[in-house]
Amino acid sequence: MKNNIRVERAIKNITQGELADLVSVSRQTINSIESNKYVPSTVLALKIARVFGKSLEEVFMLEEGD
Amino acid sequence: MKTRFLFPYWFRYLGIALFLVHVPFVFFKDTNGPEHAQHIADNSLFNSHHLFFMATTLLMAVGLFFIAFAKEKIEDEQISQLRLDSLQWAIYLNYLLLIIGLIFTTDTEHILFLNLMVPLFFFIVRFRWVIFRLNRSLPREG
Repeated sequence: MKNNIRVERAIKNITQGELADLVSVSRQTINSIESNKYVPSTVLALKIARVFGKSLEEVFMLEEGD
Repeated sequence: MKTRFLFPYWFRYLGIALFLVHVPFVFFKDTNGPEHAQHIADNSLFNSHHLFFMATTLLMAVGLFFIAFAKEKIEDEQISQLRLDSLQWAIYLNYLLLIIGLIFTTDTEHILFLNLMVPLFFFIVRFRWVIFRLNRSLPREG
């Protein structure tokens, strides 16, 4: 699974730490998701999408092999 | 996501304290060689050798237990996943050692002791290691 979190963060101009606080996880988790090392749960993915005011598919997308 | 069945964060320090308390006791036992042999002859269940063994082993086991199953400062879903992952590795290793032990020795008391130590100890080491690696891969706030 790929995601646009880094881009969306840049648009909204918030840091990893601020996003982490908004969805109440650690900064490590946001960093792992951004670098595609961790796939978030549906609940967390929905929360992140809500922070950016986008739909889920605009932030997270399937890739080949998923 | 809520993780249930974990101790509060400060139990980690309680666990470390309990574990550290047990260390001098074990050294005390080692310097007590001759007396040790004498207690073996005493066959009642609560002879001093057994009590000593029970006290130190319980201190150590409970200490490790608290360290292993205390919450992290920020307990999120990635941490739960790492926790489960580490637990699985610990169980694998434990049974591997148990099977090797059963095949190659007849020393059941030490196998039991190993069985008590290895899962918790390996779990803690592996869990801490992945968290350490995770923190190291973190860029300065970006």
